[in-house]
Amino acid sequence: MNSGKILIEVQKVEDVKAFIESGILELYVLGDVSPAEKQQVEAMVQKHPAVKAELSEVEKALESYAFANAVEPLENQRNKILNSLVTNLADDATFTKKGTAADNVVVMKAPANNFYKYAFAASIALLIGSLVALFNVYDKLQKSNLQLVAMATQNQRISKTVGYMNEALGVFRDTTFKVLKLKGTKNLPSGGMTVAWSPVKKKVMIDMTALNMPENDQAHQYQLWAIVAGKPVDLGVFDKSTADSSNMKQMKSVAAPTVFAVTLEPRGGSVNPTMDKMMAAGTVNL
Amino acid sequence: MSKKKISLSEEELVLALRHREKIAVEALYDMYSASLYGVICRIVVDEATSEDVLQETFVKIWHSFSSYSADKGRLFTWMVNIARNLSIDKLRSKDFKNHNKNQELENNVTFIDEQRNTVYKPELMGIKELVQKLKPEQKSILDLVYFKGYTHVEAADELGIPLGTIKTRLRMAIIELRKNFN
Repeated sequence: MNSGKILIEVQKVEDVKAFIESGILELYVLGDVSPAEKQQVEAMVQKHPAVKAELSEVEKALESYAFANAVEPLENQRNKILNSLVTNLADDATFTKKGTAADNVVVMKAPANNFYKYAFAASIALLIGSLVALFNVYDKLQKSNLQLVAMATQNQRISKTVGYMNEALGVFRDTTFKVLKLKGTKNLPSGGMTVAWSPVKKKVMIDMTALNMPENDQAHQYQLWAIVAGKPVDLGVFDKSTADSSNMKQMKSVAAPTVFAVTLEPRGGSVNPTMDKMMAAGTVNL
Repeated sequence: MSKKKISLSEEELVLALRHREKIAVEALYDMYSASLYGVICRIVVDEATSEDVLQETFVKIWHSFSSYSADKGRLFTWMVNIARNLSIDKLRSKDFKNHNKNQELENNVTFIDEQRNTVYKPELMGIKELVQKLKPEQKSILDLVYFKGYTHVEAADELGIPLGTIKTRLRMAIIELRKNFN
């Protein structure tokens, strides 16, 4: 049994030796073997440390031979080749870290999104603020304008009043003016009016504020007459209205009236007074 | 030559290549470009084409590195076979044949050595001399299979000697190298 085992061992050693000496390891290192031979060599290398050591020696020898016959490539090749590999390296990195890269995109995207979101919100807020401010200013302007118009109107009214008062004051101050009260006739018992008359300036004014007479309709007007030398002289027509009553109204001139009278005539006035429509009258006291 | 070259142990380099580290790429180039290029340009001869093949070789090494297994052999053995196969493929491609119709391939090795500045590293000075100690019939077979990409069958045809003799001479040549190098 023992001798048999030794025989097998010897046989094995012989096999390994024969295998090594066959030169197949050299061809294996040179890549000059069939796929079957390749498998056989790899199996032997796994099984027998001696084969593995022999293979390593062959490899080192040929490697040294290659180094001894090395040819340095041109300097520029180094960068060219390394760049092509680093490009691949970057590709590989991108590929293997796909998830991370995708995450990065999202991470990059998020702040950008937020920025535009905030910028948009800020713009909207600014726009709304501007509109509110603009509306306020516009509103104030409108109010100011209205106030201005109101004040202008008031001013106008005041100046008108002042003008009237000046006029009235002028008339009443003017010593040449005589103020004559015209009393209501039987047609208008409670009525009356005031006429101011200046014989020097031959001016006749009616104080519209003191016109105590009913409003005339659209078809009729009051007509002022003066009796001069027994004959009625037309001094013009006037209206009694609530709208416009703050005035001294100047009538036509007259030289030497004895009586002032007012009749109600058709609109535009009549050539001769309608005596039964006499509303007020007053005699001039010279 | 002016640049500081990166050098790692084979184990470190293999590990760095497995981890796809950038430094591994630089070390790989600095450590092996000249010896691989020596093989490539002796087979391909044309300089521009040789440079292309060198680049293809590094790209292939980089891309198919996962298929390298240290159990099956040394890193350089694996790489030089890639370089040799790519060189032979290029040489046999139709375009290249047309392009180099008149290129005489007979004395590649001598031609290359005359044309280019092969590297004379101080540590290899002795080796260079020892290589010259190979018997001419050993050197011619070794150069045919190693630097011209011949299979041993093609080399037997080329030299007109039996296959068995080719194998023996090849083995003897490598044993001679081992005596000198290892």
